[in-house]
Amino acid sequence: MIGRCVFKAVCCALLLIGSGPGHAQALIEGKVALPGPEPQDLVPTRYAAQPGEIAPPDPPVAVVYLEGQFPEAATNSIRLTNEILQFGMQFRPALLPVRVGTAVAFPNGDDFYHNVFSYSKTKRFDLGRYRKSDRPPIEVFDKPGVVKLYCEIHRHMRGVILVLDTPYFTRTQTNGLYRLPGLPAGKYRLRAWVDERHVYEKQVDLESGQLLHLDFDAK
Amino acid sequence: MKPLPIVLAVAVFAISAQAQELLDDLESTLSLKTSDGFFRSDLTGLLDLEGYYVDQRPPGLLYDDESFFNPRLTFFLDTRLGPHLYTFVQARLDRGFDPGQKDFDARLDEYLLRWTPWNDSRLNLQFGKFATVVGSWVQRHDSWQNPLITAPLPYENLTPVSYDYIPASPGYFLARRHVPDQKDSWLPILWGPVYATGWELFGTMGKLDYALDLKNAAISSNPDQWDLNSSLWRYPTVSGRLGFRPVPEWNHGVSFSLGPYLSPEVSTALPAGKGINDYDQFTLGYDVSHAWHQWEWWGEVFLTRFEVPNVGDADLAAYYLEAKYKITAGLFAAARWNQELYGTVGNGLGGQETWGNDMYRIDLALGYRFTRHLQTKLQYSFGHRTGSLQQGEQLLAAQVTLQF
Repeated sequence: MIGRCVFKAVCCALLLIGSGPGHAQALIEGKVALPGPEPQDLVPTRYAAQPGEIAPPDPPVAVVYLEGQFPEAATNSIRLTNEILQFGMQFRPALLPVRVGTAVAFPNGDDFYHNVFSYSKTKRFDLGRYRKSDRPPIEVFDKPGVVKLYCEIHRHMRGVILVLDTPYFTRTQTNGLYRLPGLPAGKYRLRAWVDERHVYEKQVDLESGQLLHLDFDAK
Repeated sequence: MKPLPIVLAVAVFAISAQAQELLDDLESTLSLKTSDGFFRSDLTGLLDLEGYYVDQRPPGLLYDDESFFNPRLTFFLDTRLGPHLYTFVQARLDRGFDPGQKDFDARLDEYLLRWTPWNDSRLNLQFGKFATVVGSWVQRHDSWQNPLITAPLPYENLTPVSYDYIPASPGYFLARRHVPDQKDSWLPILWGPVYATGWELFGTMGKLDYALDLKNAAISSNPDQWDLNSSLWRYPTVSGRLGFRPVPEWNHGVSFSLGPYLSPEVSTALPAGKGINDYDQFTLGYDVSHAWHQWEWWGEVFLTRFEVPNVGDADLAAYYLEAKYKITAGLFAAARWNQELYGTVGNGLGGQETWGNDMYRIDLALGYRFTRHLQTKLQYSFGHRTGSLQQGEQLLAAQVTLQF
């Protein structure tokens, strides 16, 4: 009798697990056409020699994300580092996608000062000057949109934080390949953000367990 | 010209979202580069719309009447050919090099060709017309980086020494304390950034910076003397600076400059047997800066000696301390305390007299950066001289700068 009850309970549990969101999750993968890498910016200073050497910037990547009305139980599918390092007079990574409400730290990895700031509508801040050994300042990004990053001292430095109102996003590899797992079934928009001028969009109708292949070609 | 509508129109345009996109686009449109990065040329610029109100005759290097409008359009062309060659040109359309000097003027203020033999910055050699190596204000003297509108006192306050006048006796020289400055003739310690013509050798090695230049004019010289001319190497001035950065927040520098300051045109009026090269301006300077989070501090002190014909050595000390604090992202406040102290010269009657009027001035400013392209500043200054002669005790200035 006890054995029957245990068997039924296990069966019920397996059924419940089987009908849960894990079983219904879809996956999209593909490739985004990316621009070629920018040549290294060796920008001489006008009035004095500049300490340190400018390292090559990160190669371009894109952010692929799903937009729409998600089930309430949706959680962040991909955990990306919430940190932008200033190293070799470059922002690393140069493009960071985060979910709304995420805190991002800005450590200085160089032996000289940087001064990160943004006057973007999405987030306006100025971190001032701080050293490599200082505790990195942290900013919370609580509005969706594009946050352009600059350094007041080194004019060539460029970075972007893409603040997204979705838990489903990923950053492509440098060859443009991406993989977006754990997606709920339903009708959504899939976007590929290369830069402000190059944002591609496709409508998707995801089914449980579906594997979808979608490429974004340059228009 | 009605300045207020122009200033408002520029400000309203520049704040708009469309203007932001346009100015961001302009930045990339005005940049030419080859795909391999070997060649790159960037055209950038500043549009300054300034207004000045002075309660008396304007002091220092402010010309014109008690209140005036001073627009200025500056273009910068930075061109790099590979890692070893760099050229820079600064062209300006304005009302003269110093505010209010003329009705209209167009100039090439700076042009240079730089050769960097190694891939790092240990050695650079350049020729052309460019800013002095003396002091540290030059590195932040453009309107976007200067947290105030005017220059520090040592860079603009005129002393009774002239480049085109030989006093017949100490009495004539000392009498100048009692008359208003003569802007086209009297000299400051440094005339702004001193874009004189010549050679420069400079570099950085670890925590040390060095710079040495050989120019055609003294650091106090009038902008008319800075251009390439026939007397390029006849009366050279040599200047240098050694900088030390022990940690990122501190910068120290010592500077010197030595060279004749008199115009060749007055050589016939010099005492018998003397030439232009016998009368130097010799300057020693120390500069320090500190930055920490939202604070930035700067200080410079100069000791200068003018060898004045028929008078002797006229010594002068000047310094300033300046601070900037970013109150929010965009809003900043700045303050600068300036002082200039005159030495004594023999009065020809067996005594010693101060050859100028000691002066102090406090500059206060509030600024706001609306965007990466638009900034505005408001400055109030109060200055006072010893003696009864005052000149521009109170100054109110406003500036709108559009950066592209």
